[in-house]
Amino acid sequence: MVLLIRVSGGDLLDGGVHVDDDADLDTRWCCEVGAAVYPFHHGLKSPISRLSISWSRGNSLRVSVFAAPSSVESVEDDAGGTVVEVKLGGGDGEISDAHWRRIAYGSVSPFALLQSRKNAISSLSKMSMNSSPYDADWWDYIMEYSKDINALLGSQKPASVPVIDDPKSVIVKGEEPTNLKAAWELLEMFYAEKPSHLCLPERLVDWLADFDSLFSGTHPTVHSKLVDFQKELVNLQVVEDNPKYWEVMSSALAVGWLDIVVKMLRLHGSYQLDQLSNRETENGLVEAVAVLISKMPRMRLDQEAGKLGECFKAKPDFVKAREKWRAQINKLDSSAFWFQCAHLQTREGLRSMLQIMLGNANSLCSATCHWIELYISHLLYIRPLTVGLESMYSLAQKSIQLKPMASAHRLMGLIIGILGENTEVVLAECLKGFGPWMVVHAIELLTAGSDHAEMLLLEERPNLGGINIEELHRLVYAQVLSSHPLTWQIAPIYLISCMKHGMVLLQILLSKQPVQHNQLLLKSIEICRLYELHSITANIMKIAGVHHWKHGRKGSGVFWLQQARDEYRLNRIAQQLFDSVGKTISDESFKQWEGLIQLLGSDSKTAGGLEFLHKYRDFKKSLQHVFDGKTTDAARRAVESLISLMKNPSTPQRFYLPLLYDSLKLLNWKDRPLLNVSQTNLLLTKLQDLSLARLRPDFIESELPPQALNSVRLALATNLGRAILEE
Amino acid sequence: MAFAAPQNPSRVHRIPQSKYIDAVRWLSPVSALDRFAAVAYYDTDTNSPSIEIICVDPNPQASSPILTPQSSWTPPSRISSLKTAHSTHQPILAAATFSGSIHILVSDLINGGTVESEATVSELGFHSGPVSAVDLREGGTECVSVGEDGRVNLVSFVGDSSKLSYRRIFDANGLVGYTAVKWASPSEFATGGYGFGLQWWDQRRPGGPVSQFKGNWCQGKTSGIVHSIDIHPSRKHTCLAGGSSGTVFAWDLRAQQQPIVLSGAGTGEAPISLLSESEVWEVQYDCYTRSSNIGDISSTRILPIMICSEDGILAVIEQGEEPLELLAEPCAINSFDIDQQNPSDVICSLEWESIAILTRS
Repeated sequence: MVLLIRVSGGDLLDGGVHVDDDADLDTRWCCEVGAAVYPFHHGLKSPISRLSISWSRGNSLRVSVFAAPSSVESVEDDAGGTVVEVKLGGGDGEISDAHWRRIAYGSVSPFALLQSRKNAISSLSKMSMNSSPYDADWWDYIMEYSKDINALLGSQKPASVPVIDDPKSVIVKGEEPTNLKAAWELLEMFYAEKPSHLCLPERLVDWLADFDSLFSGTHPTVHSKLVDFQKELVNLQVVEDNPKYWEVMSSALAVGWLDIVVKMLRLHGSYQLDQLSNRETENGLVEAVAVLISKMPRMRLDQEAGKLGECFKAKPDFVKAREKWRAQINKLDSSAFWFQCAHLQTREGLRSMLQIMLGNANSLCSATCHWIELYISHLLYIRPLTVGLESMYSLAQKSIQLKPMASAHRLMGLIIGILGENTEVVLAECLKGFGPWMVVHAIELLTAGSDHAEMLLLEERPNLGGINIEELHRLVYAQVLSSHPLTWQIAPIYLISCMKHGMVLLQILLSKQPVQHNQLLLKSIEICRLYELHSITANIMKIAGVHHWKHGRKGSGVFWLQQARDEYRLNRIAQQLFDSVGKTISDESFKQWEGLIQLLGSDSKTAGGLEFLHKYRDFKKSLQHVFDGKTTDAARRAVESLISLMKNPSTPQRFYLPLLYDSLKLLNWKDRPLLNVSQTNLLLTKLQDLSLARLRPDFIESELPPQALNSVRLALATNLGRAILEE
Repeated sequence: MAFAAPQNPSRVHRIPQSKYIDAVRWLSPVSALDRFAAVAYYDTDTNSPSIEIICVDPNPQASSPILTPQSSWTPPSRISSLKTAHSTHQPILAAATFSGSIHILVSDLINGGTVESEATVSELGFHSGPVSAVDLREGGTECVSVGEDGRVNLVSFVGDSSKLSYRRIFDANGLVGYTAVKWASPSEFATGGYGFGLQWWDQRRPGGPVSQFKGNWCQGKTSGIVHSIDIHPSRKHTCLAGGSSGTVFAWDLRAQQQPIVLSGAGTGEAPISLLSESEVWEVQYDCYTRSSNIGDISSTRILPIMICSEDGILAVIEQGEEPLELLAEPCAINSFDIDQQNPSDVICSLEWESIAILTRS
């Protein structure tokens, strides 16, 4: 039997919990409403009578299944119930939980470094009253931060470059790109790389080249066309006869993947040695187009090795070169050689490629698959000098009109938000598509250079309880981290950066950590030490102390209570300890106590009422010497410790009689009385106190022979007489 | 605080694991080419612990070594302490668990690095609560286990019985808890516990510790717990301990109650270099670092030691010298092990679910 839990939309467990024998029916129902199904096996044989559901750690549900009490008692091995943990939500499909944790760990240091630099800058600008807190260093810091985070999300470089270049392998397979990295790179190029705005179009071209494959799942893409053609290519004899060859090349050219296009052009049949002689003109045209493509002027700062195109850093140079290049294309387009080219597909294919390079809007539209590709092609061939987000945004709108989105993609939403300069949309897309980690770390970039975004995100909002949006998201992320047993310890880094509620939540987080195991306990204490939360430290130690004490680990309990300087509890547990002392601190079990007494140390401040144990041990030791050696000196020392014990207010009254009974030998010392008159009087007074105390109902009798009191009285009286005589 | 910079930078590789690592140990190699390590993992998602034998392939072509899991064994609960014996023909592992059991594992490195449980003690009353530390005697016939319950047990495994026999050496009935243990000789071992207390035990003189190093020697202000003990085979009279507040100290049995503080809290007067302020999780004598003044082989001088700490420090400490910092991680280093055959190599387990392999040059 399969148990189904229905979880629908916003309201958890809205659909209730159904125990159903017919799993298929329920699955169908759930699919219709769009709810998730989490089947699990509870393994109970008897029918289920009751279910209880509660939250477990993280986003797991704890489902307790109770079986109906079976009337037949023969089934002994059948459990009465079982508890199953059901993990909700698979999270992000492309990034596993462990990978998310790795990202979370890795982003701690860059985030903390940036925060400390921010604080340093703001305190510096306060001191010098400098109006602009953002200087050149600031952009370096932001860029360093962004690069550090970017490196965490995976590298784009192919794992290994093949030694022998396969002419027929058109696309190089690198590490699988992720949406998360694609999104971060978008944010980085728009918010962190402020100075290179002129090169933004080219940066977008590179971005699409890296991440076009991400759209393949939901949209037709140039990348998927290339991948499909790659498979066919191996079996093709004459590539130029295949219309797909030309189509794919035009598409790749439209989105600016020049090296792929040139590589494909060189596969053209006219390059083969046996055909070169009779297809000379045709080959000349192919080569001319290939050369034109590889000479395409591009407005960018640097060129990766192996990439085609000529780079220009300054606008006038670029404009001049581009005019010249377009003139060359026009010249080729109107040349007479086309009429001598016998191969129809080659002629048509090459000329349509020329149209793309000349920026024919219709050619671009038909060569590209989705609006981002169209947008990129416009940036490349029609408006390479587009500057400013406003004009980039209107161009994007135009592209969307030409190629409407069939289905939404999280990266597309993000791009529109960025280009539309709409911080709220960008944040919402980050949260919706990539979760709280992304939002918290992206806000650093969003606020880096934009005053508007800074105002929006750092403004205190009464409807959020007086905190700003930045803090809100940090708190949410910290909450997510806290819910996992491995990541809770990095939550403090984020909580501490929250001005309003961070500290309180940190204190709650630390107070809620389990104390059973030393490693975890010491971790909490360490975090308290870092943030100087001394009262929390003391509380944690007290909890740990009581926990250990309750579980019979008296030494550990005393240690932690001592560390917490909790005299109240130490005194309380001292009373409990004394109960067992009278019975067990005999000579043979002394070694057990020895360690505890040493732990207590001689410092009465931290020992609380347990100071008595220390003195008691000393007394027992000296008494031991007396019994061993019988020297008068040893006996004198024993008497001294007896007197100091009896004088000490921390000595419990119920120990008076056992102490005196133990020292009968001293009281009846043969050679001469060891106690003087005043000492004896003191002991007699104490004995008097004791008889008064015995009248109280809460008095605990010590386990001594019934004649003990009388023999002590007698000994004291005898001693008093002897002492008076001696004086 | 100035640290002596390493003269020769060491190579460090951090290898993400996607599971928490409780302990990591090198296994003595069977051939010059293959390196093996034993790792105690804990998967928090499935709540399942495991001990895995991994093959460490230095892999000169790629940027970092490749760890290939060879075999795995599932203990009944999370591992609290993992030790290996080196002088046996097959590596023997002793693993202690949070549920109070001890498992003796034998790994066959020649035939594919399999690991299997040789014997187990898990009966009720062996330890109440977790076993906090275990140590295997060299030669691998006996191990001693201690817990915060105050029990000190001796487990011997001569013969082929799958059920081990154990002998209770002492039971402090919880009045004293022990958190670390280390063999000194075939009959002696040292334990450590709360208040920086150390105890010396001799099986020939039963009934309790033969010698105690008084706890709370730093006047209660910075008192703490001993997490790890090491004893050098050539200096059995000195017991090295590391614990809370970055404290590393040695107890010379011949100078009964005076600790030799190497790092951390200290007694206050001497300006002792403070390497770390948090827990020192493990200490080991470092046979790679040659003492700078080789002529000074006085037996009172403490040999170079390596420590790892909660605040992410892996360092070598020499008495009277500036500590040498080998690693400074943003997260805790939970355990480390120096390769006995190849002492330049150190393997560490990092709190953020990764293993670091450090090669000193």
